[in-house]
Amino acid sequence: MTQVTQFMRVDLTEVEPGVIHGRADRAEHLTKPDGAMRVGPLLTMLDYAGGLCGGLASLPDGWVVSTNLAARFVAPARHGPFRIEASVLRVGRNNVVTAVALYDEGADDALVASGVLTSAVLVPENGPPQWERPLRLVNLTPSGPQPDLTEWLRLRAIDGGVEIPLDDRFRNPWGILHGGVVATIVDLAAGGNTTDVVLHFLAPNRIGPVQAIATPVGERSDGTVQRVEVRDIGADRVTAVAIVTSL
Amino acid sequence: MTTAYPPPHHLLWDLRLRFAHDDDNASRAWMPVTPEVCGDDGSVRAGALTTLVDVISGGLAARAAQPNWIATADLTLHMTGRAANGEVEARARVLRAGRTTVVLEIDVVDERERTVAVATSSFAVLPRRDINPDISERTAGSFAPPDGAALRVPYADQLGIRVLDAAAGVVEVPVTDWSRNSMGAFQGGAVGAVLEAAAEAALRTASNSPLVVTDLHVTYLSFGRVGPLQTRTEVLAADADRGVATVALFDTGAEMRTTTTARVVATRSLL
Repeated sequence: MTQVTQFMRVDLTEVEPGVIHGRADRAEHLTKPDGAMRVGPLLTMLDYAGGLCGGLASLPDGWVVSTNLAARFVAPARHGPFRIEASVLRVGRNNVVTAVALYDEGADDALVASGVLTSAVLVPENGPPQWERPLRLVNLTPSGPQPDLTEWLRLRAIDGGVEIPLDDRFRNPWGILHGGVVATIVDLAAGGNTTDVVLHFLAPNRIGPVQAIATPVGERSDGTVQRVEVRDIGADRVTAVAIVTSL
Repeated sequence: MTTAYPPPHHLLWDLRLRFAHDDDNASRAWMPVTPEVCGDDGSVRAGALTTLVDVISGGLAARAAQPNWIATADLTLHMTGRAANGEVEARARVLRAGRTTVVLEIDVVDERERTVAVATSSFAVLPRRDINPDISERTAGSFAPPDGAALRVPYADQLGIRVLDAAAGVVEVPVTDWSRNSMGAFQGGAVGAVLEAAAEAALRTASNSPLVVTDLHVTYLSFGRVGPLQTRTEVLAADADRGVATVALFDTGAEMRTTTTARVVATRSLL
């Protein structure tokens, strides 16, 4: 479990081959001023559960890295506990597709988000991670006050978007910026009220700082459509592109 | 053996698509906005645009992946404006061309340079097979419709889409030579028109409002080769202003195999 997923306070359980369920409580440090959970942590939960689901489906030879996450939010996550469900839709030679969904059990099990995570299958240099099956990953971080998400990220507003340092706390086991953090800064760059996101991970963020810049594309009756570009400034390259609809 | 694609009577001709491949990293394509590709709000439909986007993406991704071939993995489209006449232009560029994946971004603009839609697509890179078209000689302007090719009925009707149960979002479509792709399966962009028809029927019924499909997140899982293809729709949310549905597409002639899954958003007309 990474520091990112510990901070997001999510537990995952493999309930059967090809199916992962997750659970997370509403956490004050992950909420917006209106009391609803921020979209970034919810996307992190979807990416985490979907990625693990796809990774387990790629064993014994390979493991996965997220290549794109598309999700639609249909209700705010206000109550909790939240249930995350991930299930494999397709396992191919090069990629794995998983359906992901998030429900608010405290709101009559209302659907909060529905999406799909696509992951590329890779063969890690030192082999894929070893897991005891069925897999159970429990967040052991003691409950208690935590810094607010934006403070924890050391987020800085810049012209048209946001910037974070590539702190070691934000890296995944492969040493690159966690996909959930990328999704989080995409949401924050777009204004923090995302209802629809399509996020393509194009290259790893290794050096930092990492910037997300939002450009409006159009206005509609359900919000503003924006293009968000993520760059690893230290590596001088675009690392992700997203299309975001936000209120 | 290399197969000539598309055949003489095919949706790519009848939509009167034109292409210009600028280089290995960018392509442009144009589609006339005729009444046959417009919805009842008089504006070009998302399902017609997904066809335009899929075709230009496929061509560019195939070039980016040479000498290998590609299969569409997913396609997303978000409409931000309307086009009721003239022509729309799709401008595609490569975001990433890797060993296993090609990712593209596509802007669709009208004749006044206003953005009508933004789209993305990604492709799995596959080893080339003999049946894959040879695109090495295709250059700018070489892919243009023959004289006389045109849609004479609405695009959805020409595809053969039949609404079986509007409230449940169940529609059916045959797989014909007119709608096959270069791999012999139902054309990936035309899938967008089928998903649009299913979601729109269900969301209009659920909302009692003339919602128009504006967003499609399409994930391709397998080819629809046999047919007829049939949808199953779940309405996730619907009110007078917007609706969200998931739509799955099955190949009823291939043991109900799921070929596609999608999330579809409909809003009030972009008028």
